[in-house]
Amino acid sequence: MYRARRLVICHFWAALLCFAPAIVLGVWQMLMRSPLPAPLDDPNVYYASVTAHGSIMAYVFPTLFAMGFGYAITVTTLARPLKGQVWAWVGFWLCVIGTAMAIVPVAMGRSSVLYTFYPPLIGSPWYYLGIVLVVLGSYCWIALTLVNLRSWKRENPGTPVPLAMFAITATALLWGWTALGATVELVFLILPVALGWTHTINAGLARTLFSWTLHGIVYFWLLPAYIALYTLLPQAAGGRLYSDTMGRIAFILFLVFSLPVGLHHLFMDPEQGSGFKFVQSVLTFMVALPSLLTVFSVAATLEIAGRVRGGRGLFGWIRALPWHEPLVLACGLALVPLGLGGFGGLVNMSYAMNAMVHNTSWVTAHFHLIFAGAVVIVYFAIAYHLWPQLTGRELTSKRLARVQLWLWFWGILITTVPWHITGLMGEPRRMAMFDYAEPFEAKMGFLNTLSVIGGLVMLSSVVLLLYVLVRSSVGATARVPPLTYALAVNPPAQVPALLNGFGLWNAILLALIVLSYGYPIGQFFFLRTHASPGYSLTEEPRR
Amino acid sequence: MSRRFGPFRLHQHWSLVAVCLVSAVMTLALGLGFLVLPRYGLQTPPRSTWESICGALGFSKEIRKGGAAQPPAQIPSLIAWTESTIREALAGDPTRGAFIAVNCTACHGDTGISTQDWIPTLAGMDKFVIYKQLADYRSGKRVGGVMGAIAEVLSPRDAADVAAYFSSLAGLPKTGGVRAPGDGRSLRQRKPAKRLVFAGDPKRGMAPCASCHGPGGYLIGVPVLATQHQQYLQWQLTAFAQGTRWNDINAPMRFIASQLTAEEIEALALYYAGDLAQSPAASTASHPRPDAPHAASLGAASAGVSAKAP
Repeated sequence: MYRARRLVICHFWAALLCFAPAIVLGVWQMLMRSPLPAPLDDPNVYYASVTAHGSIMAYVFPTLFAMGFGYAITVTTLARPLKGQVWAWVGFWLCVIGTAMAIVPVAMGRSSVLYTFYPPLIGSPWYYLGIVLVVLGSYCWIALTLVNLRSWKRENPGTPVPLAMFAITATALLWGWTALGATVELVFLILPVALGWTHTINAGLARTLFSWTLHGIVYFWLLPAYIALYTLLPQAAGGRLYSDTMGRIAFILFLVFSLPVGLHHLFMDPEQGSGFKFVQSVLTFMVALPSLLTVFSVAATLEIAGRVRGGRGLFGWIRALPWHEPLVLACGLALVPLGLGGFGGLVNMSYAMNAMVHNTSWVTAHFHLIFAGAVVIVYFAIAYHLWPQLTGRELTSKRLARVQLWLWFWGILITTVPWHITGLMGEPRRMAMFDYAEPFEAKMGFLNTLSVIGGLVMLSSVVLLLYVLVRSSVGATARVPPLTYALAVNPPAQVPALLNGFGLWNAILLALIVLSYGYPIGQFFFLRTHASPGYSLTEEPRR
Repeated sequence: MSRRFGPFRLHQHWSLVAVCLVSAVMTLALGLGFLVLPRYGLQTPPRSTWESICGALGFSKEIRKGGAAQPPAQIPSLIAWTESTIREALAGDPTRGAFIAVNCTACHGDTGISTQDWIPTLAGMDKFVIYKQLADYRSGKRVGGVMGAIAEVLSPRDAADVAAYFSSLAGLPKTGGVRAPGDGRSLRQRKPAKRLVFAGDPKRGMAPCASCHGPGGYLIGVPVLATQHQQYLQWQLTAFAQGTRWNDINAPMRFIASQLTAEEIEALALYYAGDLAQSPAASTASHPRPDAPHAASLGAASAGVSAKAP
């Protein structure tokens, strides 16, 4: 793999080694919220645990995974070693050190601020610095992706950028734009208070800046999975990609529309007027467009593969698909949570309906369903797909891999469907515990217990995942065919410059950001708004 | 096979098409969000264009005017934790404070550790707490006999100095911050005091005491209660419950205390004064238990002072 093997596998292992303990924390958190007895039932431990779980799952695991997958795509699609590989290692170690810096104070109970920071809560500065380091590490990856693409384009003028490379560049650019909001919030608002330089923080401004990051980050998690759907799945299914152009347009739309929509996370916040909330609600609906394009494209691609494999009739092609391939199975399973979560998302992004579910466990259910059910399951499949390339050994057992994917699928459904229901019943989120002696809450006891069972199923799935990957990393090496990407039904011989680069799209995105975030952020600088004293979790403000 | 893009030759003007499409979406969104939707409300007559735009930005005449006449606001404290107030409280000079604090020793003890059960120990108390309480006594927001007269002669700077002095002494646990995780701190806890401290009572809308008073939380201007005198705590809770003390900003203490039973108040005071004094959070402090012999308490306190004095 063009000398990037170690680099990619280190990223994957680091991601997985953070992911596994975070799952254990997640199960314990569900136990804590259920009527079942939980060890160490202490709300402070709960919030520390939620902080660790969220920080790892939101910042560390998907970022490291996307970086590793990104490097693999860059070297294999451009068919040459990575330029500036030293910087890739610098980025990797920044992420690893940053993760340790962030998680240690959380484990010590000094930074139970949840991964969304919730100012004026103030935790240990080490936590925030750790997160900033992780972002810096990922910026190394963004820079390397752009540098490598640019040099390749210079040497191959007029040749279409391979779709996978085009898509991972869109992902990198999206993350670059997205991470700015939270990074500015951390560096200019939260860290000065955490370090004791100032003592008050404008929570409204901080929340608005975080909302900048909060939705783009979701699509940053999602896009690597979509890349697999567009470029790895067709081949694994034994067919061709329905449309290369449609793929490019979908990734461009994701880049353009998934950032200036974050105010829908602040629908119930008082610091923003209704006008821009509505504008961003409309823009959020625009994100549905590339999602629907993708669902259409994946379905069409699978149908092509199914018919090529001899499937007949309206639904016969579905049965003809090679479901024994982990990647095909994972993509098929991912479509179920993606569909359910997509409809849930339409509820959340609708200004009026959002009010009914805003602070309930419906929201927790929604993002877990999408992230774990539709994104992480494809990450697993990507790992299975790339593992032979990375280790030079065949995947030990596709059967165990399939069992693992099924366990994960049922686990996430058993966990999140009850949360959706309790959310509609009015169960608040961000709660460490409930009083089940209360008739209002007693009705939810069974559903919350059910979600614990789902969590245990997911935990067993992760154990199985690690077992399969470890077993496939040892033993005799085998000849592994090189990694290739799906051909489209009509492979592009030439594409318009607009679908081969991001110049105009970055400009459009910037314009959209200025239009939709200019006033919501700018108002804090000319209206009289107030800062609140930091609520330090650990100690009094320093001089 | 090379791919042609249909008969429309749209691709030659793709930049223009893209910009036009995005502009159309944005114009539609802005138009609906600022001109159309805010114009019509269920209970208000249609607004003018200017009013719609202002309303969508969050400025509204209706909000500014307010509806029915509001009762006069009861202001619980003249202290608001702005950057300048925090800096003023932080700027206290403990050496100067030590001179001023000579006036306090008769009641609060030589080293800030009160030997009388209804007078609070000040040694180790957070400086923001002392600063705010002195300000409230001065402005009459907290009524407490002799304290009003004493605070009246202290300038804000004096108050900051005294606060700096007492907070530098060894006594109450320094912060409510880090605490060792422990079992039995959820709503399953049967002991009412421990349950209220760590889990609160959602049924009555009561947050856990620990989320502000520690162990485990620190809120500016809120005292750490572990090892404080039981009788004093009980008295203050009762005062909040009866409304004779009302200097808690946003009234959390009046709301909570008024719902506590007399037994709960007693149990809570006992828990903070007693049980928590032995917890890991408080173990670093050399402040003695209230029932410890007087001589031992003086010895322990002075040892603490020599170690921590500025």
